[in-house]
Amino acid sequence: MRLARLIPFAMAALLLAGAARADDVPGVTDTEIRIGTFGPMAGPGYLYGRLAMNGVEAAFAKANEAGGVNGRKLVLVREDDRCEPAGAIAAVRKLIYDDKVFAIDGGGCSNAAVAVREDVEKAGIPWVVFAAVHDGLTVPVSPVIFSPALTATIESKAQVAFARQQGAKRIAIIAMHDSWGRSRLDPLMATLKEKGITPVADEEMAPDANDATAQVLHLKAANPDAVIVVLYPKPAAVFLRDAAKFGFKPLAIGQSGIGDPAAFEEQVGVPGATANFVTIAMVKVTPDDPAVASWRAEVTRLYPDDRLSVFNLFGIGSAEVLIEALRQSGHDLTRAKFIDVMNHLTNFQTDVYGGPITCTPADHRCNKNPVWLKKDPGGAIHVVAVTPVD
Amino acid sequence: MFAYLALAGLTNGALYALVGIGIVLIYKATGAINFAQGDMLMVAGFVAYTLHVTLHLPYLVALLGAVAACFVLGLLAERIAFRPLANADIISLVLATVGLSFMLKGFGRVVWGGLGDYLSFPPLVPNDPIMFGDIILLPQQLVVTGGAVLVIVVFALFFKFTSLGRMMQATADNRRAARLVGIRVDRVHALAFAVGAALAGAAAALMAPITLLYPDIGFPLFIKGFAAAVFGGLDSLPGTLLGAVAIGLIESLAGGYVGSGFVDVSAFLVIMAVLLIRPRGLLGSAALRRA
Repeated sequence: MRLARLIPFAMAALLLAGAARADDVPGVTDTEIRIGTFGPMAGPGYLYGRLAMNGVEAAFAKANEAGGVNGRKLVLVREDDRCEPAGAIAAVRKLIYDDKVFAIDGGGCSNAAVAVREDVEKAGIPWVVFAAVHDGLTVPVSPVIFSPALTATIESKAQVAFARQQGAKRIAIIAMHDSWGRSRLDPLMATLKEKGITPVADEEMAPDANDATAQVLHLKAANPDAVIVVLYPKPAAVFLRDAAKFGFKPLAIGQSGIGDPAAFEEQVGVPGATANFVTIAMVKVTPDDPAVASWRAEVTRLYPDDRLSVFNLFGIGSAEVLIEALRQSGHDLTRAKFIDVMNHLTNFQTDVYGGPITCTPADHRCNKNPVWLKKDPGGAIHVVAVTPVD
Repeated sequence: MFAYLALAGLTNGALYALVGIGIVLIYKATGAINFAQGDMLMVAGFVAYTLHVTLHLPYLVALLGAVAACFVLGLLAERIAFRPLANADIISLVLATVGLSFMLKGFGRVVWGGLGDYLSFPPLVPNDPIMFGDIILLPQQLVVTGGAVLVIVVFALFFKFTSLGRMMQATADNRRAARLVGIRVDRVHALAFAVGAALAGAAAALMAPITLLYPDIGFPLFIKGFAAAVFGGLDSLPGTLLGAVAIGLIESLAGGYVGSGFVDVSAFLVIMAVLLIRPRGLLGSAALRRA
């Protein structure tokens, strides 16, 4: 009898203990896991922010419809960083200290993303990077930052490897020399040096340039087989437009900063000028691919005005990785468990990335399979190759 | 090589002139620099894009729509950012137009920022390169250069031969005297802002196929247009034209003969050197002053 009287108290104590444990883990309750995201919500960089976030949201919606992760629903909390370091720091601090999210799946702009590394590490919050490629995010290894997105060094190695695979012996560069450009140009030059290649020309363009006559004339005089393009879409479009004007059509090798070949063809605006242009995508599928029909439907269902884009797929891929790590972490979720699972995630296949995702405690650059996209003039986008990078 | 570079410089100079003339127009009438001129141009470009690309209206309608929208925007800007501060110190006025610039950029980001990273605007003429002897041109570059020259001529005639143009000049030279001879100074200021903004509307519709459209396009264009105006003389339309062409040429030739890293720096180095010798600019008749 005395024992029976104690049972309700014992059950209440157990419930309280359970609740207290959930409360101890930021962003986790018995019914939901709050995940934060940040990136540009408007302006030219919104592709790497808002669209990637929409992809994350689509992946969360799919997981929630299937019952959630270990019984908990995923909730995404968005913050706009305006693609600026100061904006990113404010956004991430809000996610950590006000919104108290469990983890972050975000980071659209490289310079903004790398600025928050210190805050993220100080808070010990796990961060899965969805689009930013700055090497400073993953080198030296951060205990809490994992990147299923590509990194600048990986893309640079792939650019050089692709040029050589195509038989290019004379390689030239056209690049922005601002902080974004430098974050890619420095590893590119290091890679070329490592391979014993001296660029036959190294030209500079400003992000807002409206003319590339001087650069095109210099490059044409250098007679390269391939030009590695380290530019935003606008200067890259100006470059290819002016190159076409002078009948200069080398193999032009882009990077994930020019992630939408269809939009890029329109931006260039000169028929046939993009015929020899290839660019890197983080994902192996194009938005029209039947393999991503279910994702196309999910994005359209959530955002009726949107069509599935490559940038949605960036978000979907990173969210698939995050969800898998949450699932493997089990019901008694803690940040330490999640980080441990991420550290040992091996050969995880997503629906979108060019190859399996593998993270190790010594290397958090988890995606080493850049995918090459090309759009035939007036035709469809197709995957040209995948260049695994060691 | 020189011919190619010079031609590219002239085309860029035409772009800068279109921006610079709007700045000078407002300065001549009000004595104030409109730091939001580039962002007005951005809004005009997106208005033209909405009319032409989204609503499939003819280009001419889009151009006129952008001009009309900017005319109204200019009137509003004068009423909100200039008139309440017309008698305040120059710093307040500068801050007001800088604030307006940020507001317009924010507006552009919210309304059009989700349509694409850099929106392409269809060229007015087929964009296949054409040859003039050894010179290769994109037809759209000819359209921009020709359009800029036309706009500049129209505004030069406006100031020289219309009573409103003369009233603007008189108001800029001496506001109190203008008022004494019966000129409605407030109305002249409002019209100056409206016409200056309308000019940005025309410029945006002309240059959009070359520059592409994005919410942050305003400031870089403003800087080049402002530099052209300062270089040429802030109260001189021919001076601004000369300054714009000079900047375009210096950038292009420096990029070609010195190195592509000197494109942006070269023009400003030359401007600094010229202003040290002639602070009023190449053809300016008065030092920077507040009417």
